[in-house]
Amino acid sequence: MQDIESEIRDIIAEIVEKDPAEITPEAKFFEDLGMDSMMALEILAAIEKKYKISIPEEKLMQLTTLKDTVAVARGYLNQNK
Amino acid sequence: MKILDIEQIQKILPQRFPILMIDRVVHLETNKKVVALKNVTINESYFGGHFPGEPVMPGVMIIEAMAQAAIMLFYSPRPATPDKQAAYYLASIKARFLHPVFPGDQLKITVTPVKAISAAAIVNAVAEVDNKEVARAELVFSVKKS
Repeated sequence: MQDIESEIRDIIAEIVEKDPAEITPEAKFFEDLGMDSMMALEILAAIEKKYKISIPEEKLMQLTTLKDTVAVARGYLNQNK
Repeated sequence: MKILDIEQIQKILPQRFPILMIDRVVHLETNKKVVALKNVTINESYFGGHFPGEPVMPGVMIIEAMAQAAIMLFYSPRPATPDKQAAYYLASIKARFLHPVFPGDQLKITVTPVKAISAAAIVNAVAEVDNKEVARAELVFSVKKS
């Protein structure tokens, strides 16, 4: 089974249409990967769907790197357990 | 649940001729589900060129009808005066067109939300003709209120 970081990397890669290898943990979504706010929303929705969690709108601004996104997702995954 | 006629629709949607793509709303549950109808007739201006002698509704016009139904999804009856200054921008579409749509067809468009935040939303839309799915799409759009 893939770990969460790898799964979320694949989700991001598909939405920004980049090779997963380019999505390093520290790569900045907006500056480095050319993402826009609508793509960030798509990522949020895809993560919610995949893990059956609900992430509030305020967290959207925190999705700036893969590392931060995984941290946010983990926070809500743990709540469900 | 609520049914809207074309007069009421025009109070919500900013679009007008020749690109007002919803004729009637037969089901409206704000933030949950919209079912809207679009009657396709040979008088639509695009049939003159798409294609001469062989009219087929352009897929982008089906998407436009879906997008307008999606605006309805987030229409709230309160306040009674809708924000007419709001502008809607499509950001992304994932679509599949399954059957061609011809003059005489009635498109039944069902839109449900995937994710909505205050200034943007992702929705699922399905278009049917005679209970047969003709197109489906996921639309991402933003709302800019002035």
